Amino acid sequence: MIRRIGIVGGGVAGWMAALALTRALPGVRIDLVETAGPDWSLGPFGPAEASLPDFPWWLADHGVDEGELLRAASQESRGGSFALGTAFSGWAGQEADWFLPFGTIGAPLGTTAFHQLAARLRDGGQQLRIADFSLAAIAAASGRFARPSDDPRSVLSSYGYGLHLDRAGLTATLRAASGLQPVGSFRAFTGDMVTLQDGTSIAADLWLDCSGPAALLAGEDGWESWAEWLPCDRVVASWNPAEGVPPPYGHAGAFEAGWQRTLPLVGGQGGALFYASAHLPEQPGAIPLAQGRRSQAWTGKVVALGAAATLLEPLHGWNLALLQNALARLIDLLPAAPNGPEPAEYNRLTASEADRVRDFAILHYKTNGRTGEPLWDAARAMPVPEPLRHKLDLYASRGRVPLYDEELFEADDWIAVLDGQGIRPRRHDTLADAIPEPALAQHAGRIREVILDAVRSMPHHGATLRAEGLIA
Amino acid sequence: MTAPAPIRQIVIVGGGTAGWMAAAALTRLVPAGIAVTLVESEEIGTVGVGEATIPPIRNFNALLGLDEADFLAATQGTIKLGIEFVNWTRDTHRYVHPFGEFGFDIEGVKFHQIWRKLYEQGRAREIEDYNVCALAMRAGRYQPPVSDPGSILSRMAYAYQFDAGLYARYLRSYAEARGVVRVEGKVAQVPLRAEDGFIEAVVLEGDRRIAGDLFLDCTGFRALLIDQALGAGWESWSHWLQCDRAVAVPSESPGPEITPFTRSTAHRAGWQWRIPLQHRVGNGHVYCSADISDDEARETLLANLDGAPLRDPFILKFEAGRRKRAWHRNCVALGLSSGFLEPLESTSIHLIQSGIHKLMALLPDTGFSPVERDEYNRLTDLQMQQVRDFIILHYHANQRQQGDLWRRMREMAIPETLERKLALFRNRGRFFRYEDELFAESSWIAVLLGQGIVPQGWDPLADGLDDDKLATSLSRLHEMFARAAQAMPRHEDWLARNAPARTPA
Repeated sequence: MIRRIGIVGGGVAGWMAALALTRALPGVRIDLVETAGPDWSLGPFGPAEASLPDFPWWLADHGVDEGELLRAASQESRGGSFALGTAFSGWAGQEADWFLPFGTIGAPLGTTAFHQLAARLRDGGQQLRIADFSLAAIAAASGRFARPSDDPRSVLSSYGYGLHLDRAGLTATLRAASGLQPVGSFRAFTGDMVTLQDGTSIAADLWLDCSGPAALLAGEDGWESWAEWLPCDRVVASWNPAEGVPPPYGHAGAFEAGWQRTLPLVGGQGGALFYASAHLPEQPGAIPLAQGRRSQAWTGKVVALGAAATLLEPLHGWNLALLQNALARLIDLLPAAPNGPEPAEYNRLTASEADRVRDFAILHYKTNGRTGEPLWDAARAMPVPEPLRHKLDLYASRGRVPLYDEELFEADDWIAVLDGQGIRPRRHDTLADAIPEPALAQHAGRIREVILDAVRSMPHHGATLRAEGLIA
Repeated sequence: MTAPAPIRQIVIVGGGTAGWMAAAALTRLVPAGIAVTLVESEEIGTVGVGEATIPPIRNFNALLGLDEADFLAATQGTIKLGIEFVNWTRDTHRYVHPFGEFGFDIEGVKFHQIWRKLYEQGRAREIEDYNVCALAMRAGRYQPPVSDPGSILSRMAYAYQFDAGLYARYLRSYAEARGVVRVEGKVAQVPLRAEDGFIEAVVLEGDRRIAGDLFLDCTGFRALLIDQALGAGWESWSHWLQCDRAVAVPSESPGPEITPFTRSTAHRAGWQWRIPLQHRVGNGHVYCSADISDDEARETLLANLDGAPLRDPFILKFEAGRRKRAWHRNCVALGLSSGFLEPLESTSIHLIQSGIHKLMALLPDTGFSPVERDEYNRLTDLQMQQVRDFIILHYHANQRQQGDLWRRMREMAIPETLERKLALFRNRGRFFRYEDELFAESSWIAVLLGQGIVPQGWDPLADGLDDDKLATSLSRLHEMFARAAQAMPRHEDWLARNAPARTPA
């Protein structure tokens, strides 16, 4: 029986775990032990955090008011903001850019997927990019945002949104919602008990290691490195104050030696520069980054969560989503019998999910179009993990993306990246040929029209932020 | 680089259920300029007996745009709300695997977890009492589901039972009307291309030659193309699924009542199916020939009919297993030529349908890139394994005293994938469905509980809820479900009114 759970780490991962567990396991005592230093519990990626569209649902399920959270800035100059996706520039080629939207792209005709229809039109000589048929992408480009509609018949229900948040404000909100106070500060872990700075010891039936890459409980053993596929091994985080209305999307800009992440918030931008130390002189404030995952996230009484379990550069807002899913899995599997099947199942599911997100990240490197730069030329030439190779081969051959167990991203997301990177399937579905070309062109034209009409009716992002009380 | 030419000719060999289902679906390619030819011989019989299906068959029919009433009338079809398992767990025991969902989740906690907790306290009925399909099965009633999520009837799902031979005939007229060319003849030779071993053509008796780019082997157990011509290999699963024969016979309907479900009854060395159609009942005894003789198996079958047999029983021989490569070179095997699993969960037609669906999605060009083939084979293997595990579960989790087969099944080592599922469920009723898994959580739960695997505990989230309130909710749910089932028309009356069988021509 599990009566006490200890959490080590007072950052966003620790408090998110605390909130999830207090709500799910009301009979269990939860002790949270704080750790010293900056909050790297999801990775040392700066003061801003980005989420995927599932996060607003998670917040609602856990009694956190989204509007309050957005306003809960740690400083007056850092308010939350909305995101419709991520803009990628410099990945498909030094000058090329594309958009990875939240939500559906286009609409199928009968049972034929939209990107197959697009491929057929393209084969007929039309120049088009599939993201141009996504409401989120168009709205982002025109700086508009409103929460989606609940009416499934409306095109305004075809997209989702993520949040850009001040991490300290997010952590404080999660902490307040959990109703808990930290029991003290971490000094040492003996394999069973945690000793606090004041000398007292705490026992627990299960320990959650939310201490980030330091992995104070889980330790250094059993870390599988992803360095052979993900060349960035340094990160420099920053905060850049900025006035005005933030754009409703994040930005990932590739350069010769890595990429720069920008997350616009109200009052400024969270920045993080990711680079490969072999290709750029050491930058001031650089933090080493050992990307990879723990081979067994749950060992004995310790479950590693967040960056203690998986450390992956946040090309898209997946770190909160991985934590969210890990917590849901853990709660599903608790209480675990001693030597029962639960830890093995947890590890199997967690590892598959992490590996598929890793593949999604590697995809951006493998399919890059920057020529004449050693880092990027090598990335194009590198062998990739087998499941990704199979995805790439099948897509290149006929525009299909096979999905495996525990995929965080859907086929549409993979296709948006592949299409954005300029990978064109050699052939489209034969079923698309059975549709007369005028009907096809009309279908595509109609989608564009409906989307443009809908976007014209949406408020500007600034108006929505103003209505939320986020900007004056 | 120029892309290889698209496929222009698809040749289907074999005109049973698999062949005509494929032909009907492939008519969608005809407007894209692809010629579809089906070769069959009236001299070769098909294995079509009374066939039961699972709910996804409705998607297949919808894709073709078939009218349900017309289809039922043409195939002596009936409605299937689930399967009743008699004597499987132990003698005189019965349980049902109903389609559709159990109960409703309460405050985010799965219904079966809440049920488990209250059942422990003696405050819940059997789990099937909270499933509207199970209750309708028991009452012999049926009414189509509605899509309004507020209605109890939205919790239903259903499939069909029909005469597979009539279904093939029905699809034949559909396919021929839409441009599929049927060629009568028996295949005499299958010449292969010298350079790559691909099938060049099929040559019929009398030397008629039918060339093609892609060949579908729908020749049943004979596996004329995929095995006899191409030797694509076979992986046997007979160490897990030891039944290797079936003796089948149709019988007269016992009375006006037509049960809206399939029944499976365990015997000493196997099990017997009962599939009610509108005009008769299909029966078969699946058995392990190491445990009983054919004569004994036939006698067991005849002794357990509820109507007079309509012909002499006939014997089918088989081996559980799968084709190592269902897609090999330019040949794709569909139906029995691609693998065999006994019809315990009525998956035969679904496996055909799913193969067709995958093939349409991965249709190659004349370059036959290995990428599509590998993906097809990967997905096919995955699905066969998942269905195999589900079927093994029925055999493995038994407490039957009678018959050495059942002792062996209990004691055997099961696949690791199933072992993991069982361990998690035993412990606390947990269930993790794999990607694309055919049988949903409610199906596994029905069979796991039915076969006597009761979780030792339940989801602790269920402890956060008030037991008295839950007990009240549960009894209200049962009443609502039972009332909804009782209000439905009797199944045979619904059929007579909506889809009375046409006399076969």
